[in-house]
Amino acid sequence: MPEKRVDTPVMPQLSDEELLEARARLPQHVVHRSFVAETVVLNLRTGKYHGLNPTAGKMLEALEAAPTIGAAVPMLASEYGLEQERIQSDLLALTRGLLERGLIETVDDDAG
Amino acid sequence: MTTPVDEQAGVDREEYSRTAFGLALSIDQRISIPGLGHNPASVAADLPSRIHLDPAALNQRWDTVTATPFRARELRFGETLLMSVDFAEPAGYLLWARDFGRVLISIDGMELLCDPDPAVEDWANILAFQALPLAATIRGLEVLHASGVVLDGRAILLAGPPGAGKSSLAAALVRAGGQLLSDDAVALELSDGALIAHPGSTALQLRSAENQRLSAKERAMLGHTIGSVADKQRYVSASTPEPVALGSVFLLERSDDEPAVERIAAVDPFELIASTFNLSVRTPARLLRQLDVVSTIADRGLAHRLRVQSSIDATQLASIIKAHLGVAIS
Repeated sequence: MPEKRVDTPVMPQLSDEELLEARARLPQHVVHRSFVAETVVLNLRTGKYHGLNPTAGKMLEALEAAPTIGAAVPMLASEYGLEQERIQSDLLALTRGLLERGLIETVDDDAG
Repeated sequence: MTTPVDEQAGVDREEYSRTAFGLALSIDQRISIPGLGHNPASVAADLPSRIHLDPAALNQRWDTVTATPFRARELRFGETLLMSVDFAEPAGYLLWARDFGRVLISIDGMELLCDPDPAVEDWANILAFQALPLAATIRGLEVLHASGVVLDGRAILLAGPPGAGKSSLAAALVRAGGQLLSDDAVALELSDGALIAHPGSTALQLRSAENQRLSAKERAMLGHTIGSVADKQRYVSASTPEPVALGSVFLLERSDDEPAVERIAAVDPFELIASTFNLSVRTPARLLRQLDVVSTIADRGLAHRLRVQSSIDATQLASIIKAHLGVAIS
């Protein structure tokens, strides 16, 4: 019997509101390692490396840890002492960039 | 003495055992590779990789390839192709080097079939310099393009671009009490979060100019001579060290400033990745291991920058390194 899917990958063409409600995760073929001045994200399927600056690296960690992308916003705002609107704008831009490169995927926990 | 292509291809031959780059090796008696170790207990992989002189078997194996091979790597000088690595399933990696010949490394790194250039007596150098590091990479080790010396029970690696003075500095560290781990490439094994450095070939190539500056006593400390290649004198150490914990990786950088050494606080991961030896193997397992090794070097603060001037000699640099590491200067 096939294993039940609890997460349903959804297409990245989402509005900001939909994106904030979704959960982000790394695909199995993507790994990352943090260095002092950079986070390296490696797509094991393509062999391509991507570099993130420390702030973007923190955002990626927050995206992985938070139940939704929107939930990562107050976490990061608190850590950096910045307004949530600004953090949200930056986080959404990063999320879309990572989605376009296939380095994260969004899942809808309510589906399936 | 190495022997060129034998007409009795495919005939079972006597083999002898050696170790290098974390691998146990079973080597065709007709192939001589200087500077390999003799310690089967120290290898990272139990089963030996077998090295055979067998052009016919190589051709037969490569002929089974039906798809167009993938050119995984090539090295050129101007328009001249010096070396290439082609990959094709199910045969494996076909390494070709100008003036040496071909070596086919099986897809699991367990078999190396050699088809040397019959006019070149020391063709087997390609095994120590290229083929064995590639086989070690396939078999789960990460090989750094670096000279290595054991100092105070730890491996000190010297990485940098060609001509940076890695071999000269390694030789100076040997004269200062170290033991040569490898001249050109060192295999790293990541085990329980720790990095173990395995010896490669302890055949050392020293530029003639550097060699002529040494006294007879200093030359004797490098081992015995085994001829020369181009403008380099070759030495081979009398013994090969055991694998040891990685102590430091020094990234050599040419500079007009005073020589300086410092621990690198913010390691550029891509600089370390660029120092890994073989980029032909792009399997997910290797890519992940490569990143983990680089990450471990950075996390443990093992990376150092060594700025060197062309005017400063290797003996002075060796003293600077030893002082930096707090090793007593002999």
